[in-house]
Amino acid sequence: MADQLRVIDFGLSSPLRSQSSWHAVAYGVSAGTPATMSFTRPAAPYVCLGYHRGIDEVDGEYCREQQLPVLRRMVGGGPVYLDTHQLFFQICVPASSVPAVRAQALFKLLEPAVAAFCALGVPAVLDEDQEICVGDRKICGHGAGQIEDAVVVCGNLIERFDYERATRVLALADAEQAEQTLALMRRFVAATPVDPVAFQAAVIDAYASALGLEPAPGELTEAECLALVDLDERFSGEAWTKGADRPAPSSVRGPSSNQVKVRAGVFTYAGAFNGARVSASVVKGILQRVRITDAKLNGSTREAERALLGASLQSVPKVLAGFGEAGGRIAAAFAAADPGRI
Amino acid sequence: MAMRDLVEVAGFPLALGRLYHAESHMWVVTGQPDRVRVGMDALGVETSGTLAQVSFLPAGSAIAAGRPFGQLEAAKFVGPLLSPVSGTLLATNEQVALDAALLERDPYGQGWLMEARVTEPEGDLAALLADPEEIRAWFAAKVADYKLKGVLAQ
Repeated sequence: MADQLRVIDFGLSSPLRSQSSWHAVAYGVSAGTPATMSFTRPAAPYVCLGYHRGIDEVDGEYCREQQLPVLRRMVGGGPVYLDTHQLFFQICVPASSVPAVRAQALFKLLEPAVAAFCALGVPAVLDEDQEICVGDRKICGHGAGQIEDAVVVCGNLIERFDYERATRVLALADAEQAEQTLALMRRFVAATPVDPVAFQAAVIDAYASALGLEPAPGELTEAECLALVDLDERFSGEAWTKGADRPAPSSVRGPSSNQVKVRAGVFTYAGAFNGARVSASVVKGILQRVRITDAKLNGSTREAERALLGASLQSVPKVLAGFGEAGGRIAAAFAAADPGRI
Repeated sequence: MAMRDLVEVAGFPLALGRLYHAESHMWVVTGQPDRVRVGMDALGVETSGTLAQVSFLPAGSAIAAGRPFGQLEAAKFVGPLLSPVSGTLLATNEQVALDAALLERDPYGQGWLMEARVTEPEGDLAALLADPEEIRAWFAAKVADYKLKGVLAQ
């Protein structure tokens, strides 16, 4: 008889419990409980931040006004908006059961999610950036990590996506970057309005089959319940949410720039240098929308914007060479834009 | 520390003249007695995806072979940096902690990760790949395997 895949449906959960419950499972699996598939749906909206990410990537003031809790998870990825129209699943397995090379482990633990979408007639694929997509639109957010000796991958079924709020919770440079970010989200992130009950069943089938395990309903062990209490306290603490006292990753933001990823290879960028300000939408390294402000550029602003449309980020200095000193300032404002940033 | 001795194997740089842990892709350079420098090879870095952040246990921490001496966030995965040796963590590369991309730019040089005093050099170091030809063959086989499994682009 195959080993067991414990299945726990936490159902509608508070924002805090929608995070702490599956983290408790990870500690349990690390200590020897069976591989576990869990599900949860937030009862109220909130914002969740990846383990290493800076709290300044979130618009704290807006979240306070809207009474949106901000929680930090122990797996990777940027700040995201979650609400009750998203069903979250987590697969948690012993670290020894997946390849040590993390990309390989991630691949192994994301493929069944793709299979689940496909089983419901959604033509999903795992693309070259290891994102679950239909065409060029991302349909499933995911994050992964190792917690003690358990590897966990989280994903979601987006039944309906609140693009406005998902944009608004992010710390953005100005209204222009907000507008561009919203436009890119609408273009490159898509909801999948399939039956969530059928999706849940398909996910269980796909993971059980891929891992060679027999699914069986389960519940938290006593040790996991104790871990849950600890995690509730930890995740509620201001210090945990603020994050470790270390410099913000240089790969995330520079001193006068703000880059916000929408999906792999798609981001908005806002930068400034010596009086020149730029906002741009970048798709696979190509500028798709550009807004420039530079008082000394006189009447040539629109001309410079047109010249940059369709240009690659690397070619910006060359394209702006004909715009004199102002062109140099604008190119410098673009200097921190980096398609390789996470 | 030894010279870099870089060669290219299956399209990736590989530094010979050091030891390798086959599963974690960590390299080990032996210098002074009982003291080693540890880093991640180019294939380990490449298969991690774009790096966001590296953090370490504090200097002076006890470390064990196969257990974490730090954490790495790459793309969307937060996971441990696994030590290839047991002993005491003597120093970590704060430049990498400040700029994780340094590990991508120079994995065998300025992107080193930690230095440690090894408790049982005979046991830990003997378990690592040491023969240059064996290292080349292992590395080439890993590249082929990762390509086959879709972890690396063909």
